[in-house]
Amino acid sequence: MSPLSSRALTAAIYLLVADGIAALFLGGLLDLPGLVVVAALVAGSWWQESLRHRLEPLPWLGAVLMGVAGAALVVEIVTGAGGMLDVFTHLLIFLLLVKLYTLRALRDARDVTFLSFFMLVAASPVTTSLVFLGLFITFLVVGTWLLMLRHLMNEADIVAGPTSRIGRDLVHLALASSAATVVVTALLFLVIPRIGQAALPLRAQTSRMVAGFTERVQLGAFGEIEADATVVMRVHLTSFNGGGAPETLPSLRWRGVAFDHFDGRTWTVSRSTLKLTLRRELPVPFPVHQFYGGPVLTQEIRLEPIESQMIFGAPRLLRLHTRSDFVTVDDLGNVAVPQATARLQYTVDSEPEIGDPRRADIADARQPHEPRWQARYTQLPRVSPRIHALAREVTAGSVDPYDAALRLTAWLNGELAYTRVLERPTTDDPLEDFLFVRRAGNCEYFAAALAVMLRSLQIPARVVNGFQRGEWNPYGRYFMVRLRDAHSWVEVFVDGAGWVTLDPSPRAGAEASAPATPAVLWLDSMRVSWYRYVVSFSLHDQLAVVDVVRQATWTLGATALRPADWRPGFRLAAAGAALVVVLVVVVGWQRRRSVAAGAAMPGFYARALRVLARRGLAPGAGETAREFARRAPAAPWAPPLAQLTGAYERVRFGGAALAPDEAAAVDAALADLALAVRVKGH
Amino acid sequence: MKEPSPREPGWRRPLQWLKPRRTIRPTRDGWWCLGAAVGLGFAAVNTGNNLLYLLASLLLALIVVSGILSEQSIRLLHLRAALPEEIYAARPVRLGARVLNRKRWLPSYSVALEASHHRLYIARLGAGDERLLTWEATFTARGLQRLPGMRLLTLFPFGLFLKAGRVEVDDEVVVFPAVRPLDSAWRRRVAAGGARALHRRGRGHDLYSLREYREGDDYRLIHWRSSAKAAALIVRELEAETASNTRIVLVGDGTRTAARLEAAMSEAASLAVHLLDAGAAVELAGPGVYVPPGHGRGHRRRLLTALALYDPATAAAPPGGRSAGASEIEVALG
Repeated sequence: MSPLSSRALTAAIYLLVADGIAALFLGGLLDLPGLVVVAALVAGSWWQESLRHRLEPLPWLGAVLMGVAGAALVVEIVTGAGGMLDVFTHLLIFLLLVKLYTLRALRDARDVTFLSFFMLVAASPVTTSLVFLGLFITFLVVGTWLLMLRHLMNEADIVAGPTSRIGRDLVHLALASSAATVVVTALLFLVIPRIGQAALPLRAQTSRMVAGFTERVQLGAFGEIEADATVVMRVHLTSFNGGGAPETLPSLRWRGVAFDHFDGRTWTVSRSTLKLTLRRELPVPFPVHQFYGGPVLTQEIRLEPIESQMIFGAPRLLRLHTRSDFVTVDDLGNVAVPQATARLQYTVDSEPEIGDPRRADIADARQPHEPRWQARYTQLPRVSPRIHALAREVTAGSVDPYDAALRLTAWLNGELAYTRVLERPTTDDPLEDFLFVRRAGNCEYFAAALAVMLRSLQIPARVVNGFQRGEWNPYGRYFMVRLRDAHSWVEVFVDGAGWVTLDPSPRAGAEASAPATPAVLWLDSMRVSWYRYVVSFSLHDQLAVVDVVRQATWTLGATALRPADWRPGFRLAAAGAALVVVLVVVVGWQRRRSVAAGAAMPGFYARALRVLARRGLAPGAGETAREFARRAPAAPWAPPLAQLTGAYERVRFGGAALAPDEAAAVDAALADLALAVRVKGH
Repeated sequence: MKEPSPREPGWRRPLQWLKPRRTIRPTRDGWWCLGAAVGLGFAAVNTGNNLLYLLASLLLALIVVSGILSEQSIRLLHLRAALPEEIYAARPVRLGARVLNRKRWLPSYSVALEASHHRLYIARLGAGDERLLTWEATFTARGLQRLPGMRLLTLFPFGLFLKAGRVEVDDEVVVFPAVRPLDSAWRRRVAAGGARALHRRGRGHDLYSLREYREGDDYRLIHWRSSAKAAALIVRELEAETASNTRIVLVGDGTRTAARLEAAMSEAASLAVHLLDAGAAVELAGPGVYVPPGHGRGHRRRLLTALALYDPATAAAPPGGRSAGASEIEVALG
């Protein structure tokens, strides 16, 4: 039987082929022109039979084409023109096309299934896209259907049995099999031990160079990216011991890199910054900042590759949990890991700034009385006297440095406008131009202006680049941070409270970007789950799952032993479980009864034979049950035996179980038989 | 039909439990699947790539699901032999098996019955349904013959593994000696024994009575003289005849040549069947075997069974005596 004789099988074959080719395209193993060519060749194979008839006068053509393609492959392998994966891909495509153009037997359908599967295998090291999941599920469903259909057609072909009735069930069967396969695949994926080297793909994601998160940043670096909606970071708030929902915390943002030196146009991390490289010795988190005793917020962060080594997290960052063996921490509170090109996943504990810092009186957060420290955070280039004058004017009457800082922040926030249009027609000092000429700029100008004005008043301040909180995704319960959320703000030192965040930018009111639709949020949540539970699933996660299961089992077992402590829901579940057990036992018992009734030798007849055998009466060789019953028609046991024989024939050859009244009659006949045999014996 | 054999002795039952309920053998596709799963697993471990783990898991899941569904398909299927009442050597006979799905809710799919060299396919067997499958077989020798073992097997659902149940019907049947039409020599010997009127209507030679012609009567039976007298067509009714009661005597001990013994058994069986069909009472006597005279289907089975089970090794001297009025035909055992 040809696979093309079944429309369903043909459709399944081409669906699988499309799935495999889409996987190659997804993994970048097939570019767009290549995709078009391969798709055209695959589509042409649909008419392979008529094509074959037309080409019958040219029997050498097929051999020549195959020879040329084969030679090209050999050349590619020998010369190493492409990587091994590329050669493997070309070989797969070549074999697939050969199969499609010579599709005749059912076994060819199997070969196409395997080739499509290996296309998914080829794509797996070079993609981590969520689309792969869709292709995987498609392959699973269609492949299951194809294998089942092919098997049934094969069986019908070999034994020529009736197959019409199964056709109606095939779709249901295939769907049920697919569902079962999905479940078992998920379970196996969960339990197969991850003893490999890494949970990251072989080929790292192509990272994107994003300005603003290095140790040297020029004013206006964010201009380009502030309109980019690419998601670069997802922040799960896993725990918060300060009470309330953590996502509602005010001024939540993700601190990246702080700068202490300004030359009038560029912010840098000064050379005098003390840096410390920490090497992991024990499986404990890296310490970053001193704990001041406030509530702690734990964040699980997935950072896309943005060519930055910085670790982002809510200020003040206390501890860092990461797989990296080295972490660099400096005295600006910047944290970096030497893995810039791959997707980064880590967990940080932070102590968010809550409450009025002026009320804080933390001994460890006192301002150092070191001239060098003071000079470092009040360093300024030569700036316009107008800026000094403006700072003094705005802060006139302030009761303390923090009050002055708040006044400056409020002034900038209220008097100047936020804009992403940064072209400057003059060559004046950028801050002077921002404050007195344009009176508009982006967050970097606002932050730089505040820091410079604070420093001009001898108040220690520094500029920080990072990200705004982003968009809350209620489906995945995380903040979705995009490139356009890149932001600059200022940290000012408050005696007794340490470094405190101030954001002078009126950005929130100026930006009117439409929130993502629920579909986009849901899709992003799916993508995160895919990365979290499939692409990045690790031995650590497996152990965590085992631990959760173990704890749940222990808790359940401990609770089950104390019925008095059972909650109403647990009582209901226990009652339901008990009911199910009883039902299973009853159904099983009834089924055993019915099975026993339908056995080859019904129990009652075997019993009758045993009764008769005690008196030396047994069927002879070759004697049927009916002949045996008629052997001695005048015997006292003949009537009950005849009745039992009739019932026996009905059960055994009629394939039916005894009805209740028949069973009662059989019991009576057995009693009569036993009595008759006993009487005869006496 | 022979009853099912008694249960195994007690000491053998634990050994029965040790036998696997099912045997599983990968098909060529199954070997491919296993090989690919192992290869992918190795690649996944080597690279730590979770998508490779996922694909390897898919192949393993296909194997697991295949095992579950095939077990679901083959479990609680009961096999019973359906055999003809009489089986003769060298004569094609239709053997059969009833396959009963004892599952309460679920049908069985794509199940095959394997018996001897036959493979019979059931695409779907609904819950509680029974299907009779038959095939033709020929037993070459008489006696107690072992039935070809039957078992159920399935490649469902993906054709990756062949799962087979135990050989379920593994029994013996009594195969009667080959019964053939009597050749002319034997017919003469039977005829020499004479025929006997039975005093009832039949197809013999003597006149039983006269009666009026009825439509469909054979014209050759019209009695013309009586018809002329009665001015109406009168036909003759003939008296039934039967061969005279016969005692078949097996002569010799049958130990010289097996071929002669088998031919003699076949001759005796053919003779007995012919005589019984002709209405004669037939008695069988021979070394170690004796069946008293009798008629009817039950007696025919007894005679044929005795001939089927005749074993010269256990033969003893033939019983003496002879039924009154019975002719005797000897069959040489060689």
